[in-house]
Amino acid sequence: MRFVLPKGRLFKGSLEILRKAGVELKPPENRELIVKNGKYELLLARSFDVPVYVEHGVDVGIAGSDVVEERESDVLIPLELPFGKCRLSLAMPAESLTEIEDMEGFRIATKYPNIARKFFERRGVDVEVIKLHGSIELAPKIGIADAIVDIVETGNTLRANGLVEVEKIMDVSALLLVNRVSQKVKFEEINRLVLKLKEAGRNDV
Amino acid sequence: MADITKYLRRTFELWGYREVFLPAVEEFSGNLRKGTKFAYNNGFYVIKPDLTSQILANLKEPRRMKLYYISEVLNGGIRGKWQAGVEFIGGKDVQMQVEVLLTAITSLEALGIEDFYIDVGSLKVWENSMEGIEEFRGEVFEALTRRNFEIIERLPISEEKKEELWRLFNFRGKRCGYGKLNEIVDAVDDERVFIDFGTIRPLPYYRDIIFEIYSPRLGKPLGGGGEYTFKGTDAFGFAFDLNALSKLFDGRKMEKSRKKVSGDLREAYRLARELVKLGIPVEVGE
Repeated sequence: MRFVLPKGRLFKGSLEILRKAGVELKPPENRELIVKNGKYELLLARSFDVPVYVEHGVDVGIAGSDVVEERESDVLIPLELPFGKCRLSLAMPAESLTEIEDMEGFRIATKYPNIARKFFERRGVDVEVIKLHGSIELAPKIGIADAIVDIVETGNTLRANGLVEVEKIMDVSALLLVNRVSQKVKFEEINRLVLKLKEAGRNDV
Repeated sequence: MADITKYLRRTFELWGYREVFLPAVEEFSGNLRKGTKFAYNNGFYVIKPDLTSQILANLKEPRRMKLYYISEVLNGGIRGKWQAGVEFIGGKDVQMQVEVLLTAITSLEALGIEDFYIDVGSLKVWENSMEGIEEFRGEVFEALTRRNFEIIERLPISEEKKEELWRLFNFRGKRCGYGKLNEIVDAVDDERVFIDFGTIRPLPYYRDIIFEIYSPRLGKPLGGGGEYTFKGTDAFGFAFDLNALSKLFDGRKMEKSRKKVSGDLREAYRLARELVKLGIPVEVGE
């Protein structure tokens, strides 16, 4: 069975819960991206690419619900996992707070152009979305955006950059992803894994 | 791609389907799914929408017909997916489903793809199981789409109901409690066809029987289809993802049947001409 896990924020938690469910995956020792471990194979990917790997044939993956929503991948999501909790929010500079309905024509910097676009479409507000790959908080500071859509964990990063969280767009949590065909071809094996992960998650809370 | 569509066309035609040719651009309508929308001279249009919805939009009155298409389908962008599919409209219940499933099976066999499975499910079975808990229809279908049973576990419904839904969720076999499905699987009579209620994709326009085709060699479904109604007439269709088929198709294997002729030009081509007349693939060596 092949697993794909995201490098970064969710990596440790993912290894941990899989270990509790009886799947020992060794983290890579150097810079390799594929690690073989008995009957398991571990792939490391950028968090945004995990749902894409699972959609295209990797059996199982773990990714944040933010990323799954953004990529709109055709994957099964049998479980919400008890870690990686945070939220995806709209934030803007404290000195120029504006009602969402009055944000027509605003520029929004984000790693999540799809989610941001849909959020403003639902509100009937036409905005320009600028896709960035990191340090989103920088954009309003130097004036290339009026607001941002980004992950908020404690709110410290926002405060340090003079930003205020205006509205929560979605709650974020780690999710278990399963490839559609693997679910059929490895039915028993995957069902067992899902049940074990569920138990491991329950004992965690 | 050329080889794949050649064998698919041949198989579809052998089963009596006729190719349908549709315009690349349609005036926008809410009935058209997918496609790429654009505005021109104050009008709204869709380029290359989903074929089933386009066929229905172009059909004035439903009557019995068997159609097939090979086309690109866009979904908001400029590059889309190539699909090949058939629609059987106005056929007899059960017989229509059996014939379309066999069309899919023989098409794959014509391509030399033998290691595939077809999972057949039913939406009616799920609708019936929701008796008494109709208000949670949305949640149950979401659980089914994501294959996430936690959504059902959280619902304020009886334990027996949850147990019943759990059984459906994990049902996979050759016979079930739904006569129509048994009849279909029985008549198709292929060991690669299974009844499966839990891993099937429930799309909104399907009415009852749905199916998905996949191969253990590929992480993406090869295609799928289902039953729908058009102005009160039953119809059943499916589409292959040509990109998925091309990953499993081995063209070299297929070319073995081509007859090689060589020698004197006039003699070689006289023979080649006779072979082509008889429908035998031929290649004249240099």
